[in-house]
Amino acid sequence: MKNMKRILSLALCLMLALACIPALADAPVKIGVLVADATGAEALAFRAYYEHYIAKAYNVEFIYSEELNTADGEKNAIDNFIVNNCKAIISFSSVDRPAQIEQCDAAGIYYAVATGTLTAEEYEEFKDYEYYVGAIGPSLDTEFRVGYDMAAYYIDQGMTKFGIFGGAVPYRTDMHIYRAAGMLCAMIDKGGEGAAYQGVTDPGAVIGMIYGTGSIETGKIGSLELMAYVGGYDFDDAWFGKLAQMAGTEGIEAILTVGSGVDVLGSFVSGSNVKLATVDSFTAAMGEAMNSGIIDYVAGKFATSIGPIFVATLNAVNGQPIRDNDGNALALDQGYWVATDAEQFAQYYAVDSSSEDPAYSKAILDTYVPAGVSYDDFAAFIAQYSFDEIAALKK
Amino acid sequence: MKKPSLFRNLLLSLLIPCAVLLVLEIIALAKGVRLFVNADSWKLFFRAVANVTLTTFALSINLDSGRFDFSLGSVSMLSATIAGTLSQQWQLGPWLTLAAAVCIAAGLGLIHGGVYVLTRIPPIIVSLGMALFYEGCAFAFTGGKGVSLVTRTDIIGFSQIGNYILVTAAAVALIVLLFDYTRFGANYRALVSGQKIAVETGIREVGNALGCYAVSGALMGVVGFIGMANTGSQQMALNFGSIGIMFTAFLPMFIGGWIGRYINRRIGIMLGAVSMALISLAYARFDTASSVQSIVSALLLVLFLIYLNNEFAILSRFRRKQEVKS
Repeated sequence: MKNMKRILSLALCLMLALACIPALADAPVKIGVLVADATGAEALAFRAYYEHYIAKAYNVEFIYSEELNTADGEKNAIDNFIVNNCKAIISFSSVDRPAQIEQCDAAGIYYAVATGTLTAEEYEEFKDYEYYVGAIGPSLDTEFRVGYDMAAYYIDQGMTKFGIFGGAVPYRTDMHIYRAAGMLCAMIDKGGEGAAYQGVTDPGAVIGMIYGTGSIETGKIGSLELMAYVGGYDFDDAWFGKLAQMAGTEGIEAILTVGSGVDVLGSFVSGSNVKLATVDSFTAAMGEAMNSGIIDYVAGKFATSIGPIFVATLNAVNGQPIRDNDGNALALDQGYWVATDAEQFAQYYAVDSSSEDPAYSKAILDTYVPAGVSYDDFAAFIAQYSFDEIAALKK
Repeated sequence: MKKPSLFRNLLLSLLIPCAVLLVLEIIALAKGVRLFVNADSWKLFFRAVANVTLTTFALSINLDSGRFDFSLGSVSMLSATIAGTLSQQWQLGPWLTLAAAVCIAAGLGLIHGGVYVLTRIPPIIVSLGMALFYEGCAFAFTGGKGVSLVTRTDIIGFSQIGNYILVTAAAVALIVLLFDYTRFGANYRALVSGQKIAVETGIREVGNALGCYAVSGALMGVVGFIGMANTGSQQMALNFGSIGIMFTAFLPMFIGGWIGRYINRRIGIMLGAVSMALISLAYARFDTASSVQSIVSALLLVLFLIYLNNEFAILSRFRRKQEVKS
C-alpha cells in the first residue's frame, strides 16, 4: 500500500511536470518598457505598435512602467521588471541612463534604448557591456538637423520673421536644445552677411549658449529676425498669455516649434496667416490641423520606428545579439519623416497608424531575426528609414 | 458705535487690486513695457480672472467646511474631455458644450461627494483617490489621446473677452445668490461656523455636503471648458498631474477672506482673482521665467499669510507710532 502511494505520487508529479512543459515552451518573452511620457500622442502611437502589432506578431509580452520623471522612479520600475521575470528592458526614459544600464547589467537582463541615443562618452563607457543591446533613434546631430531643415524650409520661401517655441529647453532637455539650435543655425547660415546669434556663429557655441541660459534671446540674425520666443510647459495663464502674444506679434510669419506645436499654439494661429511648424507624430488630430491649414510642416518620428530596436532586443534575448566587428553594442541613427502638405501627411498617417500592415511589418522585421544577422546589414537596414525607402523594402 | 461707511468699505475692498496694479504699472514703466498693450493682453487678463475666480470658489466652498479637495483639476479635465468628445461627435456649439461640461462636472462632483458621505473616509484622502480615478477615466475614455478641437473655430471662438466677463459675472452672481440668499446657503454657513450645533438644530449636513461638491464640480466644468476652448485641445494627465490648478486658488482665497471684511466675501474672492490675473498678465508682459514666477507667487502667499497671522500686532505697532507722532 505504501509503495502504491509512492508510485501514485510520483506519477502525479510526472504528469504535472509534463503538463507544464508546453506551457513553459509557449510562455511569452516578457519585455519591460520604461516610459517618461504615457500620454503624449507619440508615446501612445509607440505603445499601440508594440501592444497591438508586435505582441501579436511575436511571442512577447510588454509590461509598461508608469510615467517616470526621476532616477529613483526608473530604478524602482526596473526592480519591478526584474521581479516580473522580464528578460529585457526597452527604455524610453532618460533621466539616468547610465544607472539604468548598470542596474540591468548587474541583474543580467538586456537593456536597449529606443528613440534616442547615448552621448559619445556614455557609449564609450557601456558599449562592451554584455547586457547592453544598444540604441536606435535620432542622434543629437539628427535632432539638430530636423530643426535646421524646418527653419531652412521657411527661409527658402522668403520668410524673414520668426518665432520659436522651445518646449523643454528651460529644463535642459538635449533633443529640444539641439532642435532649437538647428533652427538658429539655419538662420545664421541663411541670414546673409554678419548673421550671428548673440555674436556667435558656430553651432557648438550656439548649443552651449542655450544650455547655459536655458532660453533663447530674440533679435536680429543678419537679415532675418527672431521676433519672439516662449519656452517651458507651464500651462498656466501667464504661459498661455506668452504664447498668444507670440502668435500675435506684428509681422511674424512663421512659428517654429521643437514639439507639441498644434497642442500649444494651434488655437492661437488658427485663422491667421502665421505658419506653424512642429516636430510631433502622425496622428488623426494632426492630420485635421494639416488639412485646415493650421500647421503646414510636421517632422515626425513614425510609430513603427521602434520596430528595429525590438528586433535587436529579441535577438539578444534569444542569444544572438547583433554587435559590431569589435563586439560593441548598437549605436544607430534614425531620422524623421517630414510632411509639408496634407496629401503627404495623409499618406504617412495611413501607413503609420495601420495595425494590419505598419511600416515596419513582421515580414520586414523577420529578415533580421534569424541568427547570424551582421551588424553592417542591420545598420544598412536602419539607415533606410525614409517613407519611400521603407515602402521599397516592403516590396 | 459708528457704522463704517459704504465708501470706506469700497475703498478698502479695492485696496489690494489697486495696489497690485500700481506696483505692476511702476515696474512696467521702469521696464518700458505696457501692461495692457493690445486685445491679447485684455483677453489674458479676463481669462485669468474667470479661471482663478471660479477655481477659488470651487476650492473655498469645500475648504471652508474643512474638506480639502485635490480632485478639482481632474474634474475639470474629465468633464472637458467628455464634453469635448460629445461636441466632436454631435457638432455641439460652444454654449451647448459648456452646458455639457457643467452638467458632467456637477455629476462628477456629486459622485465625489457621494463617496465621501458613504465611506466617511477623511475628505483629503477621498479627494486624492478621486483625483487619480478621474485622471484614469479621462485617459481611458480617449485612449490617452485627449481631445483636439483645434479645427473647431466655433469652440476656439469662445475665447472672447465678452464671454469671459459674462461667465465670471454669472458665476459670481449665482454663487452669491446660492450661498448668501437661499436656505441652502444659510445651512452651509451654519455648518461652517459650527457643525455639531447646526446638525442638532436639524440641518442635514449630508445633503449640504453633496450640494457643495456638485456646485464645486460645476464650477470646475466651466474652468475645464475655458481651458479647452483657449487651446483647442484637452491634454491628459496621470499620477496627480492635474492637481496643480488647485494651488492657483490659495492666494486669492486668502485675499478674498481679507477683503470679505469690507464687502461680500464672494466678491472679495473675485477681487483677489483680479489681483492674481494682473500678476499673471505681468508675468507674460515682462516675459518672466517660470522659476521666477514660482518664487514670486510663493513669496506673495507666504508674506500675505505672515501679515494675516500677525495683523493685530502689526496694526497695533503702527497705531502706537501714529499716536506718538501726534
